[in-house]
Amino acid sequence: MRRLLIGILLVPGLTAQAADDESLIERGRYLARTADCAACHTAEGGAPFAGGVPIASPFGTIYGTNITPDPNYGIGEYSADDFYHALTEGETPSGRQLYPAMPYTSYHLMRREDADAIYAFLMSREPIARAAPETDLSFPYNQRWGVAFWNLIYADALEPDASSSQSSAWQRGQYLVEAMGHCGECHTPRSWTGAMDLDRHLEGGSLAGYRAPSLEAEALAERGWNRDDLAHFLKHGMSPQGSVFNEMFPVMHHSTQYLTDEDLSAMATYLLGDTPPEARRIEPRPLETLSDSARRGRQSYLDTCAGCHGGDGQGKPQVAVAMNGNTTLRLEDPTNLLRVMLDGIEARDFPGFARMQEMPGFAAHLSDTELADLGNYLRETWGGQPGDIAPEDVADLREDSAHAAP
Amino acid sequence: MKYPRLSRRAFLKGSATGIGITVAPLGSRAFAALFEPRVTAARDQWASPSGAHFRIDAISKVSGAKVFARDIRARDMPGWPQQQSHAMLLKATRADRTYQGFDLSLLDDGLQPDRIVTSADLEQDGVGFPESHGPDPLLPEGKTPLFLGHPVAILIWHDFARYRAAKNALQFRDDLIRYGAKTGEVERPPYGSFRYVRVGGETPYDPDVFSSLKDSDLFPTIKNRRPVWPDDPSLNGDIGEQGVYHARRMQDTLDDPPDNWEVFQARYTTPYIEPAALEPDNGNGWLDPDTGTLNFVVATQCPFESAHETARMLEGSRFDVRHLNVHPGYTVGYGSKDHNIFVYYAVIAALYGDGHPVRLANDRFEQFQSGIKRHPFDMDYRLAVDRDSLKFQIFRAHMDVNGGGRANYSASVAAVGATAAQSVYYLPRSDLATTAYPSRAVEAGSMRGYGTLQTMAATEMMVDELAERLDVDPIELRRANVLEAGMKNTQGAIPGGAIRVGEMLDKAERHPLWKERTERRDKRQAEDPDHLYGTGFAVSHKDFGTGAEAPMASVEIDAEGRIRLRQIAIDMGTGTATSQAMNVVDFLGRPADDIKTGETDWPELTLETSGNPYTMQQAEQDRLSRNPRWTPRLASPSSASNSAYYSSHATREAARLVFRHGLWPAALSIWGQGIYGGQANPYVMRLEDARWVEGHLTASGMTPIPLAKLAAKAHEMGLVTAASVHAFNRWSWASAEFPLNDEAPRLPLDAVAVKYGDDDYHLLDRRDVRYPDVQLNNAHVTYYSPVATLVDLRVNKGSGEVEILEHYSWVECGKPIVPELVKGQLEGGIAMGIGHALLEEMPLYEDGPGNGTWNVNRYQLPLARHCAVWKQGSEILPPLSDTDPAKGMGEVVMIPIVGAIVNALAHATGQRFRDLPVTPERIKEALHG
Amino acid sequence: MAELSTRPLRLTINGQAVGPVEIPDDLMMIDFLHEYQGLTGSRLGCGQGICRACVVILDHDDGTSEEMRICITGAHFFHGKRIRTIEGHAEHGDDGDVVALNPIQRKFVDHFAFQCSYCAPGFVNAATVLVERLEREPVARADLEATIDQALGHHICRCTGYVRYYQAAKAAIEELGLVKEG
Repeated sequence: MRRLLIGILLVPGLTAQAADDESLIERGRYLARTADCAACHTAEGGAPFAGGVPIASPFGTIYGTNITPDPNYGIGEYSADDFYHALTEGETPSGRQLYPAMPYTSYHLMRREDADAIYAFLMSREPIARAAPETDLSFPYNQRWGVAFWNLIYADALEPDASSSQSSAWQRGQYLVEAMGHCGECHTPRSWTGAMDLDRHLEGGSLAGYRAPSLEAEALAERGWNRDDLAHFLKHGMSPQGSVFNEMFPVMHHSTQYLTDEDLSAMATYLLGDTPPEARRIEPRPLETLSDSARRGRQSYLDTCAGCHGGDGQGKPQVAVAMNGNTTLRLEDPTNLLRVMLDGIEARDFPGFARMQEMPGFAAHLSDTELADLGNYLRETWGGQPGDIAPEDVADLREDSAHAAP
Repeated sequence: MKYPRLSRRAFLKGSATGIGITVAPLGSRAFAALFEPRVTAARDQWASPSGAHFRIDAISKVSGAKVFARDIRARDMPGWPQQQSHAMLLKATRADRTYQGFDLSLLDDGLQPDRIVTSADLEQDGVGFPESHGPDPLLPEGKTPLFLGHPVAILIWHDFARYRAAKNALQFRDDLIRYGAKTGEVERPPYGSFRYVRVGGETPYDPDVFSSLKDSDLFPTIKNRRPVWPDDPSLNGDIGEQGVYHARRMQDTLDDPPDNWEVFQARYTTPYIEPAALEPDNGNGWLDPDTGTLNFVVATQCPFESAHETARMLEGSRFDVRHLNVHPGYTVGYGSKDHNIFVYYAVIAALYGDGHPVRLANDRFEQFQSGIKRHPFDMDYRLAVDRDSLKFQIFRAHMDVNGGGRANYSASVAAVGATAAQSVYYLPRSDLATTAYPSRAVEAGSMRGYGTLQTMAATEMMVDELAERLDVDPIELRRANVLEAGMKNTQGAIPGGAIRVGEMLDKAERHPLWKERTERRDKRQAEDPDHLYGTGFAVSHKDFGTGAEAPMASVEIDAEGRIRLRQIAIDMGTGTATSQAMNVVDFLGRPADDIKTGETDWPELTLETSGNPYTMQQAEQDRLSRNPRWTPRLASPSSASNSAYYSSHATREAARLVFRHGLWPAALSIWGQGIYGGQANPYVMRLEDARWVEGHLTASGMTPIPLAKLAAKAHEMGLVTAASVHAFNRWSWASAEFPLNDEAPRLPLDAVAVKYGDDDYHLLDRRDVRYPDVQLNNAHVTYYSPVATLVDLRVNKGSGEVEILEHYSWVECGKPIVPELVKGQLEGGIAMGIGHALLEEMPLYEDGPGNGTWNVNRYQLPLARHCAVWKQGSEILPPLSDTDPAKGMGEVVMIPIVGAIVNALAHATGQRFRDLPVTPERIKEALHG
Repeated sequence: MAELSTRPLRLTINGQAVGPVEIPDDLMMIDFLHEYQGLTGSRLGCGQGICRACVVILDHDDGTSEEMRICITGAHFFHGKRIRTIEGHAEHGDDGDVVALNPIQRKFVDHFAFQCSYCAPGFVNAATVLVERLEREPVARADLEATIDQALGHHICRCTGYVRYYQAAKAAIEELGLVKEG
């Protein structure tokens, strides 16, 4: 009888607890998306959060770990404290230092309650009993003390600017961009040690042969971005300025597409500022005003690009982005443009009913000169950039491309 | 109550107009394949009496010959001007505001169209439009578009370069059309609404208490564009009210069922599907001003309908068209080129070509924007089962069907879907209600599956889930409820012939994929933490034919023994030309040497028609059939899986006549040569002993005679050397007596013309014609072919993507004509079913195909990697005997795979998916919340 | 109108020198073949380089060959180059009749590989390129099916479910001795 009574008494409490858990888990699901855990911890074709994603770094390949609640291979034995400590300090319960591919320098700023929610969410997932592949870095980066040392130098260096003169959206955006979204990890240049060069915060980084462009407000506006388009771009992966590709695709795929419109707008507000600079408009330049190289490039454009991007660079809806207004053409550094022309872009599913087909690479079909001419045609016509690509620039990239990991 | 139009192919309202119609044979070599699909050098090798070695059209098709209408340009056409003009349709992409004209000012002067055709032109010039495709083929200003993509004008350029440049500039622009006041969507009543109620007798073999066949289909009144049924129906009311009374009682029982019943309820939805026939819609026409001849090359599954409707369009127009030459190509459509309005846009483009040949040919974006789609269904199913006996008790299925912006076959698709919902099961009581609604979506029409894919796949998901709920093996539950031969379908009709679903269930149950499914799943899941594994089964049987089939064929044999076959059926890739040519082997000892498909010119049969075969009263049929030239229907399109059985019926009956009244008497004459009746005299000669052996005829030990010698003899003796036949089927064949020599055999035909010797055709005067009772329309289906499929698959836990690992199917289609073609249909149908179940999806409205931005980058068609190309198997059940008819199976093959996939997903994930397609997004949602 | 500016094109199609033909700068190759050359066997399926019904074979000077999607490739890309289209594979007799097929065509025919055949030219060209590649470097038995998957895997066929195309390609490769055993 006594047991029965206890049972009855406990039921409402348990139910309320379960509902609390449920809402905590839901909050954690959302926060895990804002922190983009899946990008590194869910391998393509693998179970969620079971690890195994290869992350190319200049020092070797780092593999995302298993963060399912499996006690042996995952974080099943972590307490919430352990989890918070690992996220924000880069140290496991056993005292092992994490590689800095785990963005704990950014997560360092994460609020405890947010880490706890993510923890609750991850612990509610299916445990996957499988070890992630061993990371194998070359000396000295295979030395964990080295990582600890690096950590010692830089770990606390970035603090959010809590200036109260900024709007609440701006501050929310700051938290999302700097802490959760850890945008700076790619969009900030890194020093020779591999640590972010915090003096040049968000000025643009480099990743697997591509440039992660500057996210500074002036630079974004210069490349044609306004707040709405930027938020739309993060949500849908496409905007009049282009579509996400390369390493930005998984960010959209796993993370930003799931964020609320308010949060995305907040991120755009933070990046462009409460008073954003005006987005620069560029009128296409007429053919007859272009350099000789660019004028030669036009026929290559018609031969190999116009079928999808349109004869006048207008693009085709849902097929290929417009060149007119395209943000990649406006980068002073032509690396990304040339890399895409050489390597192409693989087919990708976008949110909703969008799917971008593969863009073929033209490394095999166009010579260095043809690619330089084509690049100059694109930059001069639609990019507001000079036609200063030389065939040798293409040759250098072609070399890199050939050596890049597949 | 007015009968809604239920005609699946009700195109002929009367005899043809005063405009002569022919399919002119063309001499150009380029047309060898298009118009006389002989395979040039390989013509003698494609088949032998023992079977087809390859498709009759294979050599042309594999070597890039011009076989499609799409391939034809003006300069390919003998007698046409060389210069080809090109046209495009300008379309409105909103359906909530009035259309107020268009603006092409963004085109430079040099790129402005040479001719623009609008509704004003059609009106002024008296160009009608097929009534069944109306209203407003080109939308007049001031009206609200009926649907997204409603055409407003045809633009014509007289050279390719300017056409292409202009089209590039215009495509995807949303600022070409001016819109006016906001009106909201145009509201219209349903395209059709029907109900089929059956209360069986004591046993499945006793007479029904109530059913469509015994009593009537039920029709609602329409109020506020919705079907309304009597509130308080009584058994003393009219027949309709009685039916609703029975339905109401069923509903009451389902609401308050006996204790030992399980009542299952679920809602199922199906996707909006683009047929994606790779040849987009196209036509190319030239109105020859000198002769008043409209020459028209067109891609269509129904050349006969296209030709006759075109003639009717032009009747009374200012265009003095005196003759129409229609040239259908080999094509492909999966139904989407049947009863397709596009044909008539192409006709209009040709009329306004100012003497130039004009080609109107969709690109893929345009095809998505205007091509006929598969209907999405929204189904509410309830099924009651007795837990002790496992016998189904009551099935109630109410469904809404979205027909899109133009009335095509939506009413009929809704009806066919409802009457198929029972799948392979016997249901003692059933209440099936179905309504096809208009919407602003791009029009839906005939497409492979024709409603049955939607409803039967859902039934198979329901039965599987119900088995789980009852904790019985899904195959056992199916076996307990299989409709056996002699039992009635949900309309109260008895299906034709033996029913072999039970054999398939036995085979599936013994198959390792099924037997070991759970151990295999558990083992693999232990080894592979990234995936969930599962196996599923489903079985369906589908009707073939339309309930008003009108095949035509002629078989002629010349004095050298060459066999020439003409068929009204057209080859859409299914192999009709090949299989029809093979059909004559049983009677003539070898396949046809020449075959002409898509033949629309049958002067020798001089038939006429009137009335609607689906809705006419018995008295009207009795009266009309007194006219010996009348038939309920002149011709059928190539659709509804109708070639294997119905087209074959005509080919075989024609060949049988040539044999019976030509070659056989010729053989008797040869064997009887000499005194005392020659070599035949000591033996008894019987027709049933006749056998072809290696192209020679023998019987009862007579010297084998080569075909050529028999043919020569038949010609010499003035025997029957050719037969041209027409037949009519309303779930049973019409028959009549035909005077032939001194006999008057009763044949399952309603028109026969024969040639005696080298003469021209003589039309035989039929006597005592018997058309199937009009009440048989209410059977809705009596011909079925079953297919069963097992699927093994895995689901990625992270991405939600499904990978089909292996599948195996059984098909029963009587005696296959060419087994390779049957297998090809099966393999292709399974791929299409995979698309329907897992991959293919579009929004219906503003973001959907009507906006002109859809293509196959977004619309995922099945690729090889989706189909388990290397890991699939199938078997065709051997026929009961070699007298089994060949049965249609082009559609049923795609149905079980759908249910089997969804059932396998349940086995893998523990989740029941009821909305198709089961996309990765839906799976992720189910797995992870 | 810049679109209508033209330039001459000269190339080799199925071993025949073609041109110079004065055609628009931005003409797609598929339109050149269809509207200017009367070669309609390379079919327009999607027009966006996805379905590959349009592919032709581009022959390189080093003896290698590759598929090209001509619905998204300009005609002038092929200036001075050599291509083969579906019309070029079979041998024709004096009267124009087909007297011999290439090994892939032959197998596709014998296996009832296609139905409507709209996609067949693309499959023939892709499989022919594969055979030519394997003639230079045969494939190990264990990799045969995956190699076919890779070579034909992007091609869309709506009728057949691909089974017979794949089986036919496999049979052709085996019979031509392009499989390394063991």
